[in-house]
Amino acid sequence: MIKLNLCDIQGFVSRGYTFHFARYLLATIHEAEAGRAFSGRLLGEVTTGEKWVNGKPESTLNVAFTYNGLAKLGLPQPTLQSFPVEFVQGMKARAKILGDTGADGPEHWDPVWQDGERVHMWIAVYADTTPAIDAKCKKISDWMAATHGASVLQSQDAGALFIDGKWTTKEHFGYTDGFGNPDFEGLVRDTVPGQGKLTDDGKWVPLATGEYLLGYPDEASELPVSPVPYLLATNGTFMVYRKLHENVTAFRKYLEEKGGQYGGGKEKLASKFVGRWRDGTPVELSPEKPDQSIVQDNNRNTDIKYGKDPDGTRCPIGSHIRRTNPRDAFGFDGKLVNRRRIMRRGLPYGEYVPEDQPARDEDDRGIIFMALGASLFRQFEFVQQQWVQYGNDAHLGNDRDLLLGNQGENGKFIIPGTAHPQSPPFICPHLPDFVELRGGDYFFLPSITALRLIASGTVDPR
Amino acid sequence: MANQSGQLYGLTILSPIINNGSRSASQDLALRKHLSSLANGVHSPFARVAGTHFARLVVMNDVVFVGNPSKIDHLGSQYLIFTTDFDGDLDAYLRTMAQSIPAELDQIWKHCVGYPGAADAGKFADYMKKCQVETTFYFADVNDKTRDQTLKALQVKAELSAFVEENQGRPAAELQRAFQGLLTKINSTPPPAPGASRV
Repeated sequence: MIKLNLCDIQGFVSRGYTFHFARYLLATIHEAEAGRAFSGRLLGEVTTGEKWVNGKPESTLNVAFTYNGLAKLGLPQPTLQSFPVEFVQGMKARAKILGDTGADGPEHWDPVWQDGERVHMWIAVYADTTPAIDAKCKKISDWMAATHGASVLQSQDAGALFIDGKWTTKEHFGYTDGFGNPDFEGLVRDTVPGQGKLTDDGKWVPLATGEYLLGYPDEASELPVSPVPYLLATNGTFMVYRKLHENVTAFRKYLEEKGGQYGGGKEKLASKFVGRWRDGTPVELSPEKPDQSIVQDNNRNTDIKYGKDPDGTRCPIGSHIRRTNPRDAFGFDGKLVNRRRIMRRGLPYGEYVPEDQPARDEDDRGIIFMALGASLFRQFEFVQQQWVQYGNDAHLGNDRDLLLGNQGENGKFIIPGTAHPQSPPFICPHLPDFVELRGGDYFFLPSITALRLIASGTVDPR
Repeated sequence: MANQSGQLYGLTILSPIINNGSRSASQDLALRKHLSSLANGVHSPFARVAGTHFARLVVMNDVVFVGNPSKIDHLGSQYLIFTTDFDGDLDAYLRTMAQSIPAELDQIWKHCVGYPGAADAGKFADYMKKCQVETTFYFADVNDKTRDQTLKALQVKAELSAFVEENQGRPAAELQRAFQGLLTKINSTPPPAPGASRV
């Protein structure tokens, strides 16, 4: 029975914050001792995973480091060399592996990622009001000035989309997002059906803690590969941060055009792209129409299995959520996907444009995407390379994910169909790049103990 | 049968590499160097051997001691491993090999003990059969089709996919005409070259 010390785990890891706004500060560390002093100041206010008995705090603060950041802070060489190689290399060096080429290539990323290896820290502030964000960031700025430890290279604002007078969990293409994060053992939460792993008798149970937290047994009953010492790694995890620009005009234009040709109409076509209707209804559970009663019921909105839909005539095999989490679609009671589940965090950024108004693809809008997991290589990188940028496991050859794929010349999306005129087989050809990568990196999210070791310069690899 | 999966034959050959006792002029290093220069895909010598689905050459050095409680053990020789999946009869295929690419075979197997050369197809076939090892658990995922049938089928699949993409939603009469055009195109286009990685 896994018992977690939530005081030692950063809150960003143990829960998906539901604040309206966020600001991500990408910072550079000036010098080791000053950088450690600054980290010590952050330590005093870092949000942990403890239960909020007095309601939500006014704002939260969490921190993570790139490899270059840890090196700059003066961690011992044996510790630095014991980190997994993909973290050491960083996301930019892995661009070919991830398919971040062409329009997604590093040469197109925001300036902050261009100049050498200067991004050392990610500091995330969440709050329900902009003044609260500003207040927390002012504190951070004061600590930076007082310690001369670091400065902000880029300040990235993000926030939930406010549509028709309501806060939503939608993103800019209009899809309701945020379903289906993995449940793991030890979290103080009941397992939501669909969020864990499948057992032999078709029930959902939490995944092994070690898939998301270092220092605990993972799905292979092993300790995840971790840096030394054990104390530095335990209760920490790895994070990938990616700024995903969304070409809203291109998407709306494509959907309008193909929606006119598709027998089921535009909204149904949109649902086939993702595997959820834009209101969040899982296509597998309700392929003919959206159904808010499913969306609102946490016992149903992620309880999806594809076993009875091997041909994808309900939910296309290449649809976004089926690609990135195939569940039982590969047989073996879903065991093949248990080690490929990523924990997603993220918020849209940029101004929302209503569907009936023109948007410009040059404008800055998209999703700040973050994924957590004990192994960047085994989890995020695998899903990105094998299931997003490739279709072989889904028997779709070279077809890439419609939303995220780096399409090239002849990207297509196949919708398997039936003889029913509203569910015809349909090919969506000449896919544009709806999403373009504008930058990102790999980070280590330390536990509170680890942050204290780092800040006090007492990381000891022996 | 162990070596057979439908009409496909899975051949596994281990040929001992000449050990001339000299590291600087060693046969296995010369062989490795030569193998690394061989082309893959359409330019592979095996693309010219009719009926070959897949061919692979590996130099096996020795078994590796992995620590206690394993025993220290050694192979009697270094080996050239050759595996191939092909259509039809073993003897006919080996003769075809010798007749199609004799010079290339000599360049590879001259580093191996007792190799008679490919000039005499019969002697070549006998040598290969002497080196043969049974392929166990053999499975070939080619729907029991020949190499040429498979290449053509991949082409037809790609053409049909492109056809559906272009013509979906067209009225029936137009579709019928376009489909006739597709059939003509498929029947008149040569199949992809053996070893092609794109159709």
